[in-house]
Amino acid sequence: MSEMWINMGPQHPMTHGLWNLRVHIDGERILDVDPEMGYLHRGIEKISEDRHYNEVITLMDRTCYVAGMAWEHLYVQAAEQALGVQPPERADWIRMMSDEFQRLASHIMWYAAFVQDLGLMSPFLYGMRDRDLILDLFQSYTGGRLTYEYMRVGGVRNDLPEGFTGRARQVLDWMEPRLVEYDRLCMGSDIFRRRCDDLGVLKADECVRLGVTGPMLRSAGSKRDIRKDRPYSRYAQVEFDVATADSADVTGRYLVRMEEMRQSIRIVRQALDWLDSHPGPVLADRLPRWLGAPYAPIGREAYLLKRNYPKGVGLSAVEEPHGEACAYVVNEGGEHPYRVKFRSPVFANLSAAKSYLVGYHVADIPPIMGSVDVCVGEVDR
Amino acid sequence: MAITTLWDAAYTLATGLLWLVGRIIPPLAGPLANGDLIWGLSALVFGAILLGASMINTIMLIWFERKLLGRFMDRRGAMHVGYAGLLQNFADGLKLFRKNTFKPREADNLGFYSGPTAYMVTSLLMFGVLPISSGWSDGSLPLSMLLALVIFSFAPLFIFISAWSSNNKYSLMGGMRSAAQMIAYEVPILLAVVAVVLVSGSFDLNTIVAEQQNYWFWGPLLLAMLVFSIGMLAEMERIPFDLPEAEAELVEGWNTEYGGMLFAYFMLADYLRALAGSILIVLLFLGGWTLPTYVPSILTSFPLAGIFWFLLKTYAVFGVFVWVRASLPRVRTDQLLRIGWMRMIPLSLVAVLLAAALVLVKCLPVFGCIPSMGG
Amino acid sequence: MNTEQVRGALAAAGVAGVLSVDPFEGIAARVRFDPTSATGVFTAVRDKLGFVHLSTVGGIDWVERYEVFYLLWSDPAKSYLLLSADLDAKNPHIETASFVWPSANWHEREAWELVGIGFDHHPDLRHLLMPDGYQFHPLQRAFKLHEPEELEVKVRHV
Repeated sequence: MSEMWINMGPQHPMTHGLWNLRVHIDGERILDVDPEMGYLHRGIEKISEDRHYNEVITLMDRTCYVAGMAWEHLYVQAAEQALGVQPPERADWIRMMSDEFQRLASHIMWYAAFVQDLGLMSPFLYGMRDRDLILDLFQSYTGGRLTYEYMRVGGVRNDLPEGFTGRARQVLDWMEPRLVEYDRLCMGSDIFRRRCDDLGVLKADECVRLGVTGPMLRSAGSKRDIRKDRPYSRYAQVEFDVATADSADVTGRYLVRMEEMRQSIRIVRQALDWLDSHPGPVLADRLPRWLGAPYAPIGREAYLLKRNYPKGVGLSAVEEPHGEACAYVVNEGGEHPYRVKFRSPVFANLSAAKSYLVGYHVADIPPIMGSVDVCVGEVDR
Repeated sequence: MAITTLWDAAYTLATGLLWLVGRIIPPLAGPLANGDLIWGLSALVFGAILLGASMINTIMLIWFERKLLGRFMDRRGAMHVGYAGLLQNFADGLKLFRKNTFKPREADNLGFYSGPTAYMVTSLLMFGVLPISSGWSDGSLPLSMLLALVIFSFAPLFIFISAWSSNNKYSLMGGMRSAAQMIAYEVPILLAVVAVVLVSGSFDLNTIVAEQQNYWFWGPLLLAMLVFSIGMLAEMERIPFDLPEAEAELVEGWNTEYGGMLFAYFMLADYLRALAGSILIVLLFLGGWTLPTYVPSILTSFPLAGIFWFLLKTYAVFGVFVWVRASLPRVRTDQLLRIGWMRMIPLSLVAVLLAAALVLVKCLPVFGCIPSMGG
Repeated sequence: MNTEQVRGALAAAGVAGVLSVDPFEGIAARVRFDPTSATGVFTAVRDKLGFVHLSTVGGIDWVERYEVFYLLWSDPAKSYLLLSADLDAKNPHIETASFVWPSANWHEREAWELVGIGFDHHPDLRHLLMPDGYQFHPLQRAFKLHEPEELEVKVRHV
């Protein structure tokens, strides 16, 4: 069997998203990798330049559809800094709670797809069913299961409905023993350990060099988590631990994400307690007049017209379920942002593919790429 | 004559058929009373009954798997076509029957079409030698088990032919993996069978079942049964050993290029082999169609009791295979081959040794004695 | 780390090409530098200031000039740093940062193909998100997105 380049994708059951992984193999060994992105490029940054600040939020849901709340949160923080708006405290807590529920849902989705690629068929459906409970919660206060359009510049769209915290606690109580079950199905299986141990190793210094963040970095021993290092929203007011592992391999990333799920449950419980006891407004009072105005386009060069809104730049960073996400919003005083730039964690994680794929078997690609947790929407934007 | 064996039933049916034709068309009644003709037609009817039985069982097996797998995954499986989805697989088969069969332009004609066909035919051929009840065969095949295993092991050849003639990198890789896997696990299977043959003293499946009247072989030959079952899992290409057709890596493995009826051949042949494997396990280790002697005779004396118990055991064995499929991840090819060559073969040799020891000892405390050895 | 410390550390490192160090809310500082001395600034920021992790590289088209910015993170300092350089509008180009921070590789590919900023000596400058051979740079201001609301504007003016 001589050397050849094979295409895994863009249509492939394993790739979880539209991208092409070109692999140079010699028999079963991987010699080189070349990920080809761009199949899902929708021009979100360009479109944002033609949208009002609140209208960009619909685009953020679709950037990474598995972690919509985190991207909404990322953008509204940057937009608020650019516009000089402060959200009320209750909105901040709701955002944080949504973030952590979203992290839980995203990690369950990751788990389901990851074990399905390895051949475990049942936990895929268990995970989907449990994620549905969380999506039902999302639907009860945002109206959407995957794309929410819930957060606004200056707060969130509406408050939580009656009885939400009770239902949310029920879901959390259901999830905690389920996580133990998930763990037993995987870590207790010798086949799983043999497939995943010592695979896709990327040590901490390599990760930092290559810009890899998130569970991949934390599985190599680093304690880097934006929620602890540069607390945003109300993360400084809740207690939680950063999940780390030592092995820097697929099993390590699995353990990190399972632990992150438990920590998310912990954070949500604290948030629910706070939300129960602190009613209040969820949208700021003094917002720029045109933020809530009906869509009245003046023209694409609005920022050049005489509008005396203050200019500003906003920079925000969020610990998205896949890693570190950043947003840079430039406000030139118009109704549309002048430039919006997003930093996607999976973009950087995938750019390092050569370092953690070369040298392994072709059959190792599903576990390794599963542990990277690819969501192509945010890579291509 | 009393219908005691399947051959009797076929003979009677053939005779009746020819008599009916003779009644409808009186001039033919004379020539149709030829003994050779009746014998020939009854052979055809025999084959048809075997074919029908094995195909229907296979389809039921697929239904059983879908429902049981669904329950393991906390869902219901096929529900809509027929009561509880019983007709679902007939519908699937009809759909595949209707589909266009595409051959890639560069694929090799002979290999592409003959590979799956031969695979299917040999899988069906096995059922001619596997008895399902005491009246199924007339004992004229003293080496029936050996024949069954030989036919079983033709598969790697035809898989490889199909994979190679597809003219597709993925198929070729999948085909090579598949052939390597099957060949690797033939040896432990055959050695486990040697253990059974040592204890029962014959290659004839009827005799092996008859020898289990005191105790089923799964007791003293537990290791052989485990080795045989795991080997069968690998032969059937089920999880944990289904890397050759793993969706995640190779789309569909060695049958990527096949569609329509050829794909149906592959699927059917897979499940035919699964059925044959389960039947072999029941015949060799679980006492076939017999029940322990201390069971009240009411359970064994209703008509077709032997077939009933046999099928129950077969489906139970297959149910365990479905359970394994629902619970375990996939093993990688090199790990799989390592398990086959470096773990299964020594274990199967130990099983043979244990069987030889059992033959020496002739009687065991809990289980009893081996009938044929004068125990 | 705050702006004073960054200013002091850059001065102590003796780096040429630093134009200004300004405060920026929420991060350590915003450093404007001269693109011709890019490599020196990068190396100093990575080695002397300890900003080892490059988060992103982005480009902005300001019509009369281009701006390229680098967002960096330092674990010991637990803060971000924003480096930005103004580039010539006719021929925007700057030395690549991928030898200093390997993670810049893909970010610079994206900035080149979307904004049109050239990165000199980049090891692998080819299209990432756009198809191969795509001639336009979509995120430039001159590249118009055609949208239905154009028509609506005409109606309103009447």
